[in-house]
Amino acid sequence: MSFWWVFARLGRALLAAWGIASAIFLTVHLLPAAPDEFTLGDPSELGSAVSLRTSASRQAARQALRHRLGLDEPVFYLTRTAGRPVRWQWHGRHNQYHHWLSLLLRGNLGYSYRTGQPVAALLGPALAYSIPLMVLAAALATGLAIWLALGLANASGALTGWQAVARTLLTGIQALPLFSLSLALLLLLANPDLLNLLPADGMSTDYPPLGGVAWLASYGAHLVLPLLSLVLAVLPELTLPLEATLRQELRADYASTARSKGLTSWQVAYRHALPNALLPLLTSFTGLLPTMVAGTVVVEVLFALPGTGRLLAEAAATHDYPLVIASVLLTSIARMLALLLADVLYFWTDPRLRPSL
Amino acid sequence: MSVRWPAWFFVKLPHQLALGWLALVVLAGLASPMLPLPYPPATPDLLHIAAPPAWSGPGPLHYLGTDPTGRDVLAELVFGARQLLLLSLPAAAAATLLGALAGGAAGFWGNRGLAISWAAVPATIAAAWWVAELPQRLTSALILLIISILLLASKYLSLRYSRRSGNATLFFPLDSLVLGSATLLSAVPRLVLVVALAAGPPLGTGGLLVLLLLVAWPDAARLVRAQMLRVRAQPFVEAARAVGLPAGRIWWRHALPHACRPLWAFAPLSVAGLIGLESTLAFLGIGLLPTTSSWGRLLGTLPQEPTAWWLVAGPGLALLFTLLALQRLAYWLSANQHSQLVLPK
Repeated sequence: MSFWWVFARLGRALLAAWGIASAIFLTVHLLPAAPDEFTLGDPSELGSAVSLRTSASRQAARQALRHRLGLDEPVFYLTRTAGRPVRWQWHGRHNQYHHWLSLLLRGNLGYSYRTGQPVAALLGPALAYSIPLMVLAAALATGLAIWLALGLANASGALTGWQAVARTLLTGIQALPLFSLSLALLLLLANPDLLNLLPADGMSTDYPPLGGVAWLASYGAHLVLPLLSLVLAVLPELTLPLEATLRQELRADYASTARSKGLTSWQVAYRHALPNALLPLLTSFTGLLPTMVAGTVVVEVLFALPGTGRLLAEAAATHDYPLVIASVLLTSIARMLALLLADVLYFWTDPRLRPSL
Repeated sequence: MSVRWPAWFFVKLPHQLALGWLALVVLAGLASPMLPLPYPPATPDLLHIAAPPAWSGPGPLHYLGTDPTGRDVLAELVFGARQLLLLSLPAAAAATLLGALAGGAAGFWGNRGLAISWAAVPATIAAAWWVAELPQRLTSALILLIISILLLASKYLSLRYSRRSGNATLFFPLDSLVLGSATLLSAVPRLVLVVALAAGPPLGTGGLLVLLLLVAWPDAARLVRAQMLRVRAQPFVEAARAVGLPAGRIWWRHALPHACRPLWAFAPLSVAGLIGLESTLAFLGIGLLPTTSSWGRLLGTLPQEPTAWWLVAGPGLALLFTLLALQRLAYWLSANQHSQLVLPK
C-alpha cells in the first residue's frame, strides 16, 4: 500500500526528469546556430594546422565534424523543412533524440563534444568533489541555523545586542545573490592588500601529495571560503522560518508549564520547543538542494574548484550540449528524490499526515 | 518628540530611503543615454586598464576607475541600471501577469470546470493542421471540420430527442496542466535551468527576457492559485453565480482581483529575485552579449584583478541597496495589505 504510493511517486519523478531533459535537448538542438560552428571556431585559427583555406575544404571539415558528433542527422522523429514549400518528414529511428534516449536507457549519458570523453567519466570526479562540499555545507548550516534560531527565539521582546545584529545580517544576506556575497568574502579575506589569510585559487598546482597532515591542512584552507559562502547562502532561509516556529511553540501552554517547573529559558527552548519546531524545518531542508546546486555553480566558478557546478558553467559557455543535458538530468532526479524523501520523512515522523490509500 | 523619533528612525526613514534609491535607479536608467558621462559604456580605454578612481588630472577622468578591460566603471554602473529597467523589470512584470492569469484560471476552473464539447476536438486539430501546414492540409482540414460538424449535429439531435445528455463533454484539465508545467519547470534550480537553456548562441536582451519569464512565472501562479481556491468558496462568488453572470465575467471582474491581492507584496520580491538571477548570469558570462553593461558583469571581473576594490564597491553597493530597497518595499506593501485585509484566511 505505502509501497505503491512510493513507487508511483518515483515513477512521476523519473517522468518529470525525462520531460525536462527532453525539453532542454530539443530546445538547445533546434536553436538556429548549430554547436559545430562554435566548436570549429574561427576558420583562421585552424587554417595553419589543417589546410582549411578554401571554403570547399572548410565545408568538408565541418561536414566531417558534424558527422562525428552525430549532428548531421535530423533532430527529432518528425521534422519540418524551414523554407517553402513546407514539407514534413518522418525519419524513423535515425534521429538525434532517439540516439540520445536509447543511449540513456542503456545508462550511457553520451560523449562530450569538446573532449570526446564519456560524460559519465567527466561527471564522476566532479561529483566526488561537489557532493562532500554540499553535504558538509548543509550539515554546518543546519547546526548553525538551529543554534542561531534558539538564540534569537529566546530573546523576549525587542532584540538587543548580538541578536539584533545577527537578525539584521541574516535579512541582509537573504537579499543578496550568492555571488556578491562570495566576492565580498574574497575581497575581505583573500586580498593581497588587506587580509591575505586564505587561498582563493581553489586547487593550485603546488598541492601536497594525497594524505598526511599537510594535505589535510591545505585541503581545509582551500575549502574555507567556498564552504563559508555556501553556508552563508543557505543560513537565512533555514534560520528565519525556524525562529518563527520556535517563537510560536514557546508561546504554547506546554512551554509555560516547563517554565513554571523552573527550567531555564534555554532548557525550555532546547528540550521542549525544538523537537516540535523541527518538523517544518524538513520543508526548508528540501529547499536546500536547489539553493546548494545553484550555489555550487557560482562558488566553484569563482574559486576555481573542479566540481559539477564549474563543469556545467564551462559546458554551457562552450556549447557542450551532452554535458549540459546530463547535468540537468542528474540535478532534476536528485531534486525529485529529495522531495520524495522529505514526504516519506514527514509521514514517518508524523503519522497524522500519512496518505490514506 | 524625543519619544517619537526612534520610531521615525527605524520605520519611516528606511522606507523613504528605499523609495528614494529606487527612484534614483529608475531615473539613472531612463536618462542614461542623455547623461553627460565622461566615457561611453562598453568601450575600452586601453590607456587606463584597471585604473583606480581618479579625481584630478588631465583630460576626461575615470571618476570610479576602470575594469580590467579598460571600461569606465561609472558608465557601466549607469547603463547597468538601464539593463535592470530593460530586462529584470519587464521580465518580472510579464511573469507576474502570466502567473496571475494561469494560476487564477487553474484555481477557478480546476480540472472539471472547463467543459468542452467533443466537437471542439476535431475542429482544434483541423486548425492546428492548417497552421502547421501538415501534408494535404486542405483535404485533411476539411475532413476534420466535417467530423466536428457531424459531432455537433449528433449532440444537438440527442439533446432534442432524448433526455440523456452531459456525458458528451470533455473536461479540460486546466489545473493539472498548469501545476504540471510549474512542477516540471521547478524540477531544476532556476540558475541551472537558465544556464542550460542559455548554452546555445548568446541570447541578447529579448531572448533572455523570454528565458527569465519562463523560469519566474510558476511562483506567481502557485500563489494566485492558492488564493483563488479560497476566493472561489466566498459568498460573493456564489452570489455572482446565482445572479447568472457568465463564468468568464465572474472570474475576471470578481474573483481575480481578490485572488491577485498577495501579488502586490510578491512583485517587488520577484523583481529582486530576477535582478539577482540576471546579475548572476552576467557574472558567469553566460547568455549575455559581451557588449551589454551589467552590474554582475562588472563584479565578475574582480577575479582578474583581485585588489581592485573599486570594481566591487560601486556595483556591489548598488546591487545591495536595490535588493534591500525592494525587500523593504515588499515588507511595507504586505504590512499595508494586512491592515486592510478583507478575506478571512
